[in-house]
Amino acid sequence: MSNGGTAGISTRVYKSGSIVFMEGDKSDYIYILKSGRVILTTKKVEEKIWVEVKENVKPGEFFGVKSALGKYPRDETAQTFGETVVLVLSLADFERLILKNVNVVKKMLKVFSNQLRRIHKEVREILGVSDSVNPEFELYKIAEFYFKAGRSKQALFAYRKYLEYYPDAKYSGNAQQRIKALQSGGDADDFQDDFEPAPPPSSAASSRENYDDLTDFTIDDGGSSRHDEFSDLMEEEPAKPAARSPLSSEMDDFLSTEKSEPMDDFTFDEPDLGGGASASQDISEIFYEGMRLFSQEQFGEALEMYKRVLDFKTLKNDGERKTFEKAHFEAGRCYLKLGNYNEAMAAFSGLIKKFPQSDLVKNALFYIGMVFEATRNVEKALTYYKKVASMEPKDQLNREAMNKVTKLQR
Amino acid sequence: MMQLDSPIFDKFRVEFDPNELIFCEFEFGNEFYIIQSGRVKIVKVINNTEKTLDVLEEGDVFGEMAILEEEPRSASAIAMDHVKLLRFHRDNFDALLQGNPQMAYKLLVIFSKRIYDAKRRMMILLLEEPQLKIMDVMNMLAEQDPHLDVQGPISLKVTIQEVANWAGMQINDVQKILTHFNQLGKIELFNDKIIVKNIRDFQRLVNSRRKSNFS
Repeated sequence: MSNGGTAGISTRVYKSGSIVFMEGDKSDYIYILKSGRVILTTKKVEEKIWVEVKENVKPGEFFGVKSALGKYPRDETAQTFGETVVLVLSLADFERLILKNVNVVKKMLKVFSNQLRRIHKEVREILGVSDSVNPEFELYKIAEFYFKAGRSKQALFAYRKYLEYYPDAKYSGNAQQRIKALQSGGDADDFQDDFEPAPPPSSAASSRENYDDLTDFTIDDGGSSRHDEFSDLMEEEPAKPAARSPLSSEMDDFLSTEKSEPMDDFTFDEPDLGGGASASQDISEIFYEGMRLFSQEQFGEALEMYKRVLDFKTLKNDGERKTFEKAHFEAGRCYLKLGNYNEAMAAFSGLIKKFPQSDLVKNALFYIGMVFEATRNVEKALTYYKKVASMEPKDQLNREAMNKVTKLQR
Repeated sequence: MMQLDSPIFDKFRVEFDPNELIFCEFEFGNEFYIIQSGRVKIVKVINNTEKTLDVLEEGDVFGEMAILEEEPRSASAIAMDHVKLLRFHRDNFDALLQGNPQMAYKLLVIFSKRIYDAKRRMMILLLEEPQLKIMDVMNMLAEQDPHLDVQGPISLKVTIQEVANWAGMQINDVQKILTHFNQLGKIELFNDKIIVKNIRDFQRLVNSRRKSNFS
């Protein structure tokens, strides 16, 4: 295997007892044992307990492959016994070498896939969930999910798969009926699918609830017509030289289509005068309940929590003020998820206006970009993403904003 | 780079229209796919909502767990554009590798990552104290971003639900602990991210516990 393509490969000679690499090291070298002996020490889980395992590398075998390829710290220590010679390969050397030896790759893949299978099994055992799911019922539930979401194409596919695997099972009759209904019921086109932040099924209810707050448009759960409604709204609006106006007035423009700003009346510097409607409950408890609901994707319910936080009239200390501030932002994210773009815009820009010093301002600007992106106003989305990308201090959000800019400009 | 357009592969070619399901969560899979053109999203229905796990593009591989054995798919794959794919049955795996060693290399990388991730997760699961589990989820997430400056506060993109999944814990328990950390000023909680004030504290705590378990 050392003919051609091995120009960059170097040879290293180790004394007995040397460490070639240590667990935790970061390096992308891969080794081949040429002569001598190498022992790998690693930790493995057996019966839910870590045990130390030692493994012999045979001459001609690779070691240090996984951590180098996966770009992770070494998960084993390699030590020599007796004088030992190893070949040291860079990732490029390794790639070149194995491309000529497909059988070696196959062998490695077998070993890797067995390891992976064993680890997955152990994880399932630790979690105590081994084989508790019933794939038959789960597949049916997926089909039902798409059926109820009005996504007939996907529903049909899943029902047909269900019947293919389980022709005589519990839900086969139901599946057949659903297929018939889908085939006869005309095609409910899947507009929903190419609309980026697709509102979850629950959004229909909550957008109705807010119907009165919206002047020009609302989100209809019928779906198909709303693209046009949005683009109309967006095109009408910046007829003036809005593209050049400062960000704040642009937000005003966006908001001017609304009758009222939802989050207007509050004071937070007043002494404690008994508080608002929900004074009995701690503001942070309500806030975290909102976070829990959001992480479970119950956006409408989460929003209710944030609204309660925003109803607080008196805030006792800095912690509460901070929570209050964050609730503006999180409410905006709920609105965005629910597809209520005007409210989302109001929440994010409200945050920026009321708390211009907040460290959430940058996030809010990013999300305003997302609102514009969701409403297909690419130009404005780009303005906001670019703004975020240039803001200090540089962090992950700058990179994300840059990614968005690249994506939208494509 | 890859000779996937070679006529040898013609019989493996399949095409999908936008929004078409390529495979469905919980369906049994014997095939894996390589994207030749178009985009494919990997989604999972969680709590009655479809969640996008990943968006894949030309040259990406998906469904690769089917190389091992027939197992229910852990997620669905949906075509986003008009998508051209190569579809390989487990039995054609050898033929694919012979004709396309580059693909073999790619699979090695994918498997290496999966093994590490699974092992790393197991390290979390095997910690006894729930607080440490959660700290170690943060540690793991921090390790995944090599650009993070761990000297100062770091921002991790994760939801409470995801933390609960990683730690194998109930969401309510996770929330209690995170709220407590938040009150202590160790972290700051948001819907889609957690800011950890001093991740090195967490690393130190978890490592010292792990060491004491070993000795």
